[in-house]
Amino acid sequence: MSVGKPLPHDAAHLHVTGAARYVDDIPAPANALSLAFGLSHVAAGTITAMDLSAVRAAPGVVAVLTAEDLPFDNDVSPSNHDEPLLATGEVHYMGQPVFMVVADSHLNARKAARLGRVEIDPRGPILSIESAMEADSRFEDGPRIWTKGDVGQALQDAPRRLQGRIEMGGQEHFYLEGHAALALPQEGGDMVVHSSTQHPTEIQHKVAEALGVPMNAVRVEVRRMGGGFGGKESQGNALAVACAVAARATGRPCRMRYDRDDDMVITGKRHDFRIDYDVGYDDTGRVLAVDFTQMTRCGWAMDLSLPVADRAMLHADNAYLLDAVRITSHRLKTNTQSATAYRGFGGPQGVLGIERVMDEVAHALGMDAADVRRRNYYRAMGDVAGGPAPRPADSPRSFPTEMKEGDIASRGSQAFDDDRAEVGVASENTTPYGMKVADFILHEMTDALLERCDYFARRDAIAQWNAENGLLKRGIAFSPVKFGISFTLTHLNQAGALVHVYQDGSVHMNHGGTEMGQGLFQKVAQVAASRFGIGVDRVKITATDTGKVPNTSATAASSGSDLNGMAVQAACDTIRDRIAACLAELHQCSAEDVRFADGRVRVGGEDMSFTRAVQTAYENRVSLSATGFYKTPDLAWDRIKGQGRPFFYFAQGAAVTEVVIDTLTGENRILRTDILHDAGASLNPGLDIGQVEGGYVQGAGWLTTEELVWDDKGRLTTHAPSTYKIPACSDRPGVFNVDLWDQPNPAQTVYRSKAVGEPPFMLGISAHLALSDACAACGPAYPDLQAPATAEEVLRAVTRARG
Amino acid sequence: MYNFDITRPTTVDEAVAALSADEAQPLSGGQTLIPTLKQRLAMPSVLVSLTAIDEMKGITEGPGTLKVGGGTTHGDVAQATKGSFAGLHTLASKIGDPAVRARGTIGGSVANNDPAACYPSACMACAATIHTNTRDIAADDFFQGMFTTALDEGEIVTAVTLKVPEKSSYQKFEQPASRFPLVGVFVAKHADGVRVGVTGASNNGVFRWAEAEEALSSNFSPDAIEGLSVSAEDLMGDLHGSPEYRAHLIKVMTKRGVADAS
Repeated sequence: MSVGKPLPHDAAHLHVTGAARYVDDIPAPANALSLAFGLSHVAAGTITAMDLSAVRAAPGVVAVLTAEDLPFDNDVSPSNHDEPLLATGEVHYMGQPVFMVVADSHLNARKAARLGRVEIDPRGPILSIESAMEADSRFEDGPRIWTKGDVGQALQDAPRRLQGRIEMGGQEHFYLEGHAALALPQEGGDMVVHSSTQHPTEIQHKVAEALGVPMNAVRVEVRRMGGGFGGKESQGNALAVACAVAARATGRPCRMRYDRDDDMVITGKRHDFRIDYDVGYDDTGRVLAVDFTQMTRCGWAMDLSLPVADRAMLHADNAYLLDAVRITSHRLKTNTQSATAYRGFGGPQGVLGIERVMDEVAHALGMDAADVRRRNYYRAMGDVAGGPAPRPADSPRSFPTEMKEGDIASRGSQAFDDDRAEVGVASENTTPYGMKVADFILHEMTDALLERCDYFARRDAIAQWNAENGLLKRGIAFSPVKFGISFTLTHLNQAGALVHVYQDGSVHMNHGGTEMGQGLFQKVAQVAASRFGIGVDRVKITATDTGKVPNTSATAASSGSDLNGMAVQAACDTIRDRIAACLAELHQCSAEDVRFADGRVRVGGEDMSFTRAVQTAYENRVSLSATGFYKTPDLAWDRIKGQGRPFFYFAQGAAVTEVVIDTLTGENRILRTDILHDAGASLNPGLDIGQVEGGYVQGAGWLTTEELVWDDKGRLTTHAPSTYKIPACSDRPGVFNVDLWDQPNPAQTVYRSKAVGEPPFMLGISAHLALSDACAACGPAYPDLQAPATAEEVLRAVTRARG
Repeated sequence: MYNFDITRPTTVDEAVAALSADEAQPLSGGQTLIPTLKQRLAMPSVLVSLTAIDEMKGITEGPGTLKVGGGTTHGDVAQATKGSFAGLHTLASKIGDPAVRARGTIGGSVANNDPAACYPSACMACAATIHTNTRDIAADDFFQGMFTTALDEGEIVTAVTLKVPEKSSYQKFEQPASRFPLVGVFVAKHADGVRVGVTGASNNGVFRWAEAEEALSSNFSPDAIEGLSVSAEDLMGDLHGSPEYRAHLIKVMTKRGVADAS
């Protein structure tokens, strides 16, 4: 069976030979045109005049479009209809597209775009958390507040108390392949769009709106992306819509790709956060109460900010049972890029908040931080009584009578609240949002990891080493992650698949998930191969296509394999069962006795090749094509109340990182990292370990070298690799041990595997905590290390630690 | 890029003549100028390439000196100084990346006087003489502020003569993304005293840290500057570091340099 084998990425050979085709590699017809945006040069203001005559006159320019030239909807928002493709009168951030140029080449379009004269009467931009709070510039009418227990009383009663704040920066996605799209006009006004997107249905929906056609007139195809990381969940809309509109206007194919600088200046990034905490705890390190205030800059448009900020709240507990907790979340509207999805989707920010609390409590008590963490863990799976989870009723009690303007396939959707949520509140081992944690395995994982990496002995050795060394200080830290798996917008937890078996026994597999390098297609192909008992080489992986599988959810929330693997399994099983029924009838036996394994099919006493079985079914007029569908069970969630069961299960992991800092400069290195990560019964340990390694390094990068800087005019000054530092291969830990826990998921997922895309990102937090530990070795005070911990910030923390 | 003509003279005299044309500009390794042209931040009518002038290339050892032709690449300097001139070797072999070191030249670097260029610090610390087609200029007089030098219009840096110190070290604190020095310090111990050149840090370009030089001249040890500090006033503050951080790093890098050289 191919499931569980560490097979390489299906396109690995194509990647390394350069033969893998990305959107901009697709040969376009000779008459294809290229697009570029003209951008706003101020962060906030009113457009008073626009002179585009020089743009129109520039070499190769075929058309120049402004908002007024758009035939139908001027909107690329995935949520709130607040994101015009081209600015209409007002500009809201520096880099906002104001007009678009259609020219005979990419270079000519870009050159011409620079010739636009746009006069803007500037307004004072709202850039900071302070100014946004002061101006009450926010999304939603006020902060979201979720509570569990009596926080005020518990804080008052706690024997010990501390307050603090951690600021954490945003993060540029830095996918190797920038955004790109290609629109090919068809007969009768139809449109085919190739897009580098994690969400083909979203592209289809926005293009249809922009062209004034139904969704059935638009087909979107995505073979692969060169990285997405959430940056291509909604941010590809602008390019696809622009290309489609231009293709409609000119009757010619249109393509667009962002130059790297433009990509960084135009598109949204990870939400930066400030988290204030007020903590009550006791002498044993048990946290008795926490009051969190989370503030985030969402940028100028809503995009996916509400569910991102929700997920930050949903992970404010991480792995810890908190009896009294209040989480207040401010979603601030600022004149910056519209912050968007990024691996973890707010989860990492929430987790860093509580990990910071654990770190500071341990420091205040002089206790080992790993011990403090274990003391606060949820109770283990075996120690929690079973019992029904709150379940949704069978059907909605009421249907919205009128469809609100909205984008129901997007995580930003607020079209209607799901009033099916019979939201029950569990009574024990519950999260701050009332969900019972019934699958907590971090006690065992932590014990295993700490032992495997010799944590306590190394911690003592480091303390000894630090006592002997003045200039360099080492630090070590452990951090766990418990990450909720499912889209928090419940209805997105569905997926479809389409599988054909041809007469020669080869299989054509299609599903709604997109490939962005993570290896989803291979994992799902392994599922298909296993269902038919054939080798994965007989399964053709095909591009995601809205014409084959409709109404897909974004490949996001780590859900790609969970959802699409199950849908493909269902489709394969339908075909397999049809073949089995056919063979059983011919051989006068029961269909259950037909066995598919090792490329053979055994029925009655006979053993035939899979191909022969397929041919027999074909000759007996059995359909060898099927769709498959899956929806995640047992979800019920009320995001306004902050109550319910938003997640199907929790993926978990644990990491120990050791670092060294130079106390004179703040320079630092990761010396060693040990990770134990829970991927359930892994579908493909090779790919899963790759995700864990990549997630850790990306998470560590977020908290160390990756620093986004805007100037006081709202200009992003870090808009190229010369100023923005992502981790390189040489920045990875010198010793990097990654193991999978590899125990079956108690929840009924595909082959009992677990989602693995986002959770390991948060293991990078252990690097930040290790830096904090190293700084703490410099003096008696708490170093109060902020993020990102650049060398300068580490030096500041060293100074603070010295008191 | 705007259109321009290019000429490739083979002697300094020809180059000087070619530079007398209106809006003519010299082109050496092009590691700064070519990107500038691409950005359309310069509009020369003619580029006078200096890369075919043999008399401007190569390295000659003199009594206690090293004369480096203006057209000598960083890569060649790194090669020639290995084992003999530690500070200059480190400096040259860490500029940019291999591609930059294969093209970029010392003449181009000092003539441009980028506030984050490495070479000017070596020139200051090694009491360099900048030779041009018309005169010799002491490094102390040559570097006059950010992107500003004593060069006249049409004047070419033909060579740089550095005084070879007894001991030297170049310490670069790299800005992690670009690897330009956030602060670069060249420490050189000469028979007649210590010189310390600092680049990357000041709003006024490369400078010598006089107090440290004095202290180190009487006691060449990191402890000698323990009590000194650099004022953050007039130091650069930008997205990569505050003036205070740069001030702090100057001292740290200087001490490192002394420790490394000793």
